[in-house]
Amino acid sequence: MRDVLIGIGFVIAGVVTIFIAQQFPTLPSLQFGPSLFPSIVGGGFCIGGVVLMLSGMWQRHRGADQMMQGELQGAELATTELETNAFETNAFENNAFENNAFETSALNATESEGAEHPSGKKSWVMVLPPLMIVFYVLASPYIGALFAMMIIMFSLMMLRKTALYVAVAASVGVSLAIYFIFSHYLLVPLPQGVLLGGSLPWTL
Amino acid sequence: MDALINGFALVLTLDTMLVIIAASLFGIFVGAVPGLTATMAVALLVPVTFYMDTTPAIAAIVSTSAMAIFAGDIPGTYLNIPGTPASAAYVTESYSLAKKGRAREVLGINLVCSVFGGIFGTVILIVVAQSLAEVALKFSAFEYFWLAVLGLSCSIFISIGSKTKAFLSLLFGILLSTVGLDMMSGAPRFTFGVPDLMAGVNFIPVMIGMFALNELMNYYSSKSEKKTINIVATDSVFHNVPRHTKRYWRNMLRGSSIGTLIGALPGAGADIAAWIAYAVGKSRSKDKAKYGTGHIEGIVDASSANNSGLSGAWVPALVFGIPGDSITAIVIGVLYMKGMNPGPTIFMDGSGLIYALFIVFIIANLMMLPIGYMAIRLSKFFILTPSRVLMPIILCFCIVGAFAINNSIVDVWIMLVIGLVAYVLAVNGFPMAPAILGLVLGSTVENNFMSAMLRTGGDLTSFFARPISAGLGIAVIVLWCSPLLVKAYRYQKSRSARASS
Repeated sequence: MRDVLIGIGFVIAGVVTIFIAQQFPTLPSLQFGPSLFPSIVGGGFCIGGVVLMLSGMWQRHRGADQMMQGELQGAELATTELETNAFETNAFENNAFENNAFETSALNATESEGAEHPSGKKSWVMVLPPLMIVFYVLASPYIGALFAMMIIMFSLMMLRKTALYVAVAASVGVSLAIYFIFSHYLLVPLPQGVLLGGSLPWTL
Repeated sequence: MDALINGFALVLTLDTMLVIIAASLFGIFVGAVPGLTATMAVALLVPVTFYMDTTPAIAAIVSTSAMAIFAGDIPGTYLNIPGTPASAAYVTESYSLAKKGRAREVLGINLVCSVFGGIFGTVILIVVAQSLAEVALKFSAFEYFWLAVLGLSCSIFISIGSKTKAFLSLLFGILLSTVGLDMMSGAPRFTFGVPDLMAGVNFIPVMIGMFALNELMNYYSSKSEKKTINIVATDSVFHNVPRHTKRYWRNMLRGSSIGTLIGALPGAGADIAAWIAYAVGKSRSKDKAKYGTGHIEGIVDASSANNSGLSGAWVPALVFGIPGDSITAIVIGVLYMKGMNPGPTIFMDGSGLIYALFIVFIIANLMMLPIGYMAIRLSKFFILTPSRVLMPIILCFCIVGAFAINNSIVDVWIMLVIGLVAYVLAVNGFPMAPAILGLVLGSTVENNFMSAMLRTGGDLTSFFARPISAGLGIAVIVLWCSPLLVKAYRYQKSRSARASS
C-alpha cells in the first residue's frame, strides 16, 4: 500500500521536474541543453513511480500482506548466488530496524507527520530530531549556538529518561566542548546570539 | 623513490599518528553502537577533516571506517545485533559461539581477519590502481561518460531488494546533482532564487542528512532501549587465532578477494561484500550443516570480506573518480575540497601524496590490532554506552558539522530536508547507496555527455567510435539486458529439467 502512495509521489515529482526543466534555456548549437538531464530524471521518476504503483497494487491484489515478500522476489531474480541469503537479508533488515520498524505507537501521529509516513505506525517522537534542527536554526541567532545546543541535548536526553545529573553534565559539557572546538580551533563563526551581546567571543 | 620518501615523511608525523589513534577510537565507538554505521561516522568526521591537511584527513577517514567495520562485530557477538550492516551476514554465527563462552575468541578471529582483509585490499589497491591509472590516462569524455554510466548501473543491479526502488533512489541523487548553475550554459537550475544553491547542493550536508539524521530518526522512532549482556566472556582473545588461520587461510584469501572485487564495484560496499563472501564460503564449505549454529569458518570469509571491501572501494575512486561505496563517495568530495582531484593524474604528480595514502592504509590497518584488542577487552563499556546520551550529541554534531562546511545556514536546511526524504525512502526499503552515487556521478555523466556532444555537434554515434568507449558502452548495454538474460537462462533450465524428468 505504501508503495502505491510513494509511486504516486514519484510520478508527481517527475511531472513537476519536467515542467520546471522546460523553462531552462537551450544551447544555440544543439537541440538540447540544460533541460535534458532533468527531463530524463523526470521521465524516469514517472516510469519508476508507475512501476512501483503497479507492483504495489498487484501485491495488494494478491493479498500479500507483507511487502517484504515482493522485495525478496526481486532480490532472488537478480542475485542468483544470494538466493539463500535473500531471506536472511530481509531478516536483518527487520533486525536493524529492530525495535522500531514494526512497533505501533501508543500516540497517534500528528497531521503533518501522517502525510509523510503513511503507515502511521512510527512513534511520534521521531519528528523531534528534525524539529530540534528547526529550533536551532530559528533560535540560534537569538540565544546563540551554545545555548541552543544545550537545550536540544538536555531536552532529548530527558525525553529518554536519562538521570538528571547525567543529562545536565553531558549537555553542558558536550555543548561547551563542541562550541569551543568549532569556534576556537576550527574558526567556524557559530552564532553567538544577542542574548550574551557578544560577550562570548568566538575567537578567544 | 623520492616520492616514496616524501610519502613516509607525510605520514610519520606526530599529528598524523595522533589523528589515526583518535579516529580509530571514534570508529570503535560508532561501529559498536547499533544503528550508527561506518558511513555515518565518516560523514560526521568530514567537517573536522575539512580543517586538516590532506594526509591526516585521509588517515582519519581510513582509520575510522576500518575500525567501525570491525567494531560492528562487537555488539553482533554480544547482543546478536550487528553494529553496522556489514556485520549482519555472520551475526548468527558470532552470537551462537558467544553463547558457548567463546565471545573473545570470535572477536579475536574477527579482528585478525579484518586486519588481513584490509591489508589484502590495500595491496590490491597499490598494485591495480597504478596500472589502471596508465590506462585511464588515455580516456576522454566519451570513456568517462560510459564509465560513470556503468558505475551508476552497477549500483542498481547489485543492490539487494527492489530494483525499481534502487533506480528511483539513483534518479533522486542525479536530480540533486543538477541543482545549481549549469556547466555549459550557465543557466541556474532548481535554485529557486536561493543564492547559496547556485554552486550546487553541497555534498557533506546531504551525506549527514542521509546517513546521520536518518538514523537518528530511526532511533527516536523506537521505544525501548534495553541492552543487557548475558554473555560471559573470559576466554583468551588471540589464543586460538593461529589454529583457525592455519585451518582457514583459504577462506581468508577467498573472502578478501571477493571483498576487494565487490568493494571496487560502484554502489556495493562492505555489507554486500560480507553477504556474498558468506554465501560463497558456505557453498564451498565441507561442513555446510554447521553453518548457522556457530561455525568459525562462516565468520572468517565474511569478516575478511567487509574490511577488504573498504580498501577495494578506493580503486575506482582514486583512478576514475568513481566511488566504490558510500564512504569513498564522501572521500571524493573531501579530495576535491583539498584540491587533490581524483583521477589518473593523482598517481603521476610525484608529490608523494599517493604513497602517503597507501602508507596510511597499511598503518591504519595494523593499528587495528592493538586498538581492536583493547576494544575487545572493554567490549561491555562500548556496548553499554547509553544511546540516549549519545544520540542528542550526534544531533548537535550534525547541525554544527553541516553548518561548518560553508558557514551557511542553508546547508543546515539542506541536511534537514534530505534527512527527511531519506528517512521516508529508507523506511520504505529504498537503498541509499545509489542516491549517493547519483549525486557524485550525476555531474560527471552530464558534463562529459554535453562536452562530447558539443565537440561532435550532437552526433550520438560518436560514443561508439573509439574502441575503449565502444567496449564500455557495450558493457553497459549488456548489464542492462542481464536481468532478461538471467530470466531466459532460468526458463531454459527449468524447461530442460522438466523435459528430463
